[in-house]
Parts: sequence; C-alpha cells; structure tokens
Amino acid sequence: MNIFASLYQSLTDQVKDINTRYAKPSIQMTPLVRICLLFLRFYLFLLIGLLIYKFIAVVRQ
Amino acid sequence: MNIYSSLFYKYRKTMKALRMFFVVAGPGIIVMVADNDAGGITTYTVTGAKYGFHLLWFLILLGPVAYYVQEMTVRLGAVTKRGHAEAIFHAFGSFWGWFSLLDLILTDWLTMITEFIGMTAALSIFHIPAYMTVLFCWILMGSMIMVGRYWTWEKVALIFCIGNLIYIPCAFMVKPALHDIIFNSVIPHFPPGGFTNDLFFLLMANIGTTIAPWMIFFQQSSVVDKGLREKDIPFGKTDTVIGSFLTVIVAMFLIIVTGKLLLGVPVESAAEAARMLMPVNKYIGTIIAIGLFDAGFLGAICISLASSWAFGEVFGWAHSLNYKIREAPWFYAYYFFTLVLAGVVVLIPRAPLVLITLFVQVIATTLLPAALVFLILLLNDEKTMGKYKNSLYQNFMNIAIVIVIIVLSTLYGISTIFPNLFA
Repeated sequence: MNIFASLYQSLTDQVKDINTRYAKPSIQMTPLVRICLLFLRFYLFLLIGLLIYKFIAVVRQ
Repeated sequence: MNIYSSLFYKYRKTMKALRMFFVVAGPGIIVMVADNDAGGITTYTVTGAKYGFHLLWFLILLGPVAYYVQEMTVRLGAVTKRGHAEAIFHAFGSFWGWFSLLDLILTDWLTMITEFIGMTAALSIFHIPAYMTVLFCWILMGSMIMVGRYWTWEKVALIFCIGNLIYIPCAFMVKPALHDIIFNSVIPHFPPGGFTNDLFFLLMANIGTTIAPWMIFFQQSSVVDKGLREKDIPFGKTDTVIGSFLTVIVAMFLIIVTGKLLLGVPVESAAEAARMLMPVNKYIGTIIAIGLFDAGFLGAICISLASSWAFGEVFGWAHSLNYKIREAPWFYAYYFFTLVLAGVVVLIPRAPLVLITLFVQVIATTLLPAALVFLILLLNDEKTMGKYKNSLYQNFMNIAIVIVIIVLSTLYGISTIFPNLFA
C-alpha cells in the first residue's frame, strides 16, 4: 500500500507542478473564444455519449 | 555557362535535393501509411463489400483533407521544437492541455485495441491462437524500440509501410473494370439505396480512419524527435504529400478488391473477408490477411509511441527513442503499458471485437474537431510561427474540414436518436 500511496503522491505532485508551469498561457484567448471552445468540448462529449448508447443498443440486439 | 555545365549544375542540385529529401522523409509517410491501420483495413473492406466502387470518389477527397491537416503539424513541430501535447499546454494552459491529453488517451487506447483485434484476427486465419499473437507482438514491438535509436525505428517502420502496399498488386489480380473505377472515382454520387444510416456510419468511419487525433500528435512529435528544422519544412511537406497519396491509393485498391469479389456479401471485417476469399483465391485471401497484420502492427507501434511522446512532453520525462531505457524509464514504461492494456482487452472472451473496431473509427472522427481547432489556433499565432503561420487559404480549408466533420457528427448523432430519419 505504501508504494501505491507514494506513487499517487508523486503523480499528484507532478500534476500540480505541470499546472503551475503552464498556469499562464502564451496565447491569450478572449472570453468568447473560451466559451465557444468549452461548448464545442461538451457538445462533442454529448455526441460520444450518443455513440456509446448506440454501441450498447447494437450489442444488446 | 554553356548548356552542358548548366545541365550538370541542375543535375547536381536535383540529386542534392533528393538526398536531403530521403534524409528528412519518414514522419509523413509513416503516419499516413500507418493511418491505414487494422481499423482502416476493416473499414475499407466493409465499404467495398457493401457499396462496391461507389465511394472511391469519397476516398480521393480524403487525401487532400489528410494532407492539409498533417502538413500543419510539420510546420508547428519544426518551428516550435515542441510536441503537440506540450505545444497545447504551453499555448493554452493546463486546463485545455489536460482536455487534449484526455482525448488522446481515450482515442489511442481504443485504437490500440483495434490494432490488436486486427492482428489476432489476421493470424487466426493461419490457426495461430490470439494469446500467441498478442505475446509475439509485445515481444516484437518491445524489441523494436529497445534496439537502436529513432532512425532505426523509422527505417523498420518504413519497411512495414512497404508491406502495407501489398493490396496494390492484389487489385490487379482481380481484374476490375477500368471504366467503372474511373466513373466512380471522378463522379461524386450516392450508392444505390441513397443516403441511409449504414452509409452515414461508413462515411464517418472512413473519415475517422483517414484523419485521427493520434496522427496529429504522432507526426509533430516525430518531427521533433527526428530534429527537423525550419529549412526542412518543404521536404517535410513533400513527405506528407507522398504519404497522403499512398494512404488513398492503398484504401482505393483494397476497396476495388472487396468491391469486385465480395459485393453484396455481408462482410463485417477484413479477417472475415480473407477467410471467405481463401477458397476462391488463396493468394488474395492470404494477401489480405498479411496486409491486415502489417497494418495493425504499424498502427500499434505508431500510436503507442504517440502516447508515450505526449506524456513525456507534458510530465517532463526524457521522451526520445534516442535515449536508452535507463535514461528514459517512464517513456518506455508508458509505451509497454499501452501495449499490454490494449492486448489484454482482445483476450476477453466474447468481446464484440468487430463492432468495437468500427465504432472506434467513428469516435475518432467525432473527437477530431477538438484537436483540429487547437491546431488551427496554434498555426495562426504569428508570435510563435512567424512567416510559417497559416495563410488565408490554409485557414479556409482547415476550418471547412472542421465544420464538415462537426456537421456530419451532429447528423450521425441525430440519426442515433431518430433512426428512421435516414432509413
């Protein structure tokens, strides 16, 4: 368990370090662009959800 | 300068350019030919069997589409000297970076599974059990990256690329009607039966197998690992053009084979097609099986490398094939991890492997706009790209590709909720 705990801690530290390193993006996006990108992301995930639904439906047939 | 000196000068200049091209060539050809992976071979087999030659024109259109997308990664990699994952984190911050990395993990893992599905199915035709194929592939893929450097890996991958061309002589063997091929290649039209859900699904699968998110990450990281510079960009573009030409040619020739021999026969996979063709013409059946294994292997080595490069770039690990295992342990560990995680899924009893193969192509298409939008934004950053930023024409073409894919994905989503809409 200790190995996994230390691995998890190391991973978490690395993620925090990455977030700090890339906290300030070099390309400044306007709020409108950010909103559009976020909308696109969630929209695409919705479509993926529909695909998974179709996959399950076909497998069950 | 007299005419002989002038000719000799031109000859020397051409030979120098050719030698330079052969040094630089590799990432574009490999990524495009690897694009005809096991999932791609299955998609083209099913397309030919279902619709004959009627979608050849669509495949030809996808060639330039693949080129416009992949060419951007050559410029971005050569100018920024960063892989795609690192470029996104650096340009857009960690929030969007993690989103892109999540896309990559998901699509890469699913696509790796399809590669192993293809390889095990191909060798099962020769009565080799799935677990042996998986073990053999793990050993072979592992050895490939542990011996030598990036150049060695690239040369071996190029040999597998040549193997992917095996469908070309196959198409000549079936003696298709030339006028049918020309007509269906040049005139855009819907196949008999019109625009149905099945046609829609296959169109999406064909797009997903021609341009996939992993290709963007792979080619850019490959350009960086190879050490290409800005002055190598023209050669990198030529490399990509040749690659996109080859990928379309292989796809078309495979569709010609199955369109001629299996039209109207319900075929669900390339392995099934190979099995059906063995009694008819054992050479063609064998070629399809060998080609399927080659495609799956080439796809697997490229996709696992794309993931390892991306993680290495973001987490700051040493991430190059030019390092030995003890110099880049996490890079190689992740590489083996993806191989094992994908291979194990194929061994699950009664898993719907063929269905997974086709659905993965559609998922890759659906997630593609997210990757493309960031790529376009990066290529329009004048501060970073300078004179290599996108021209108006390039922006127009790439934005059009994004819009078409979003529209097609939306229509497919609608057809899932209202199945009778396109019935």
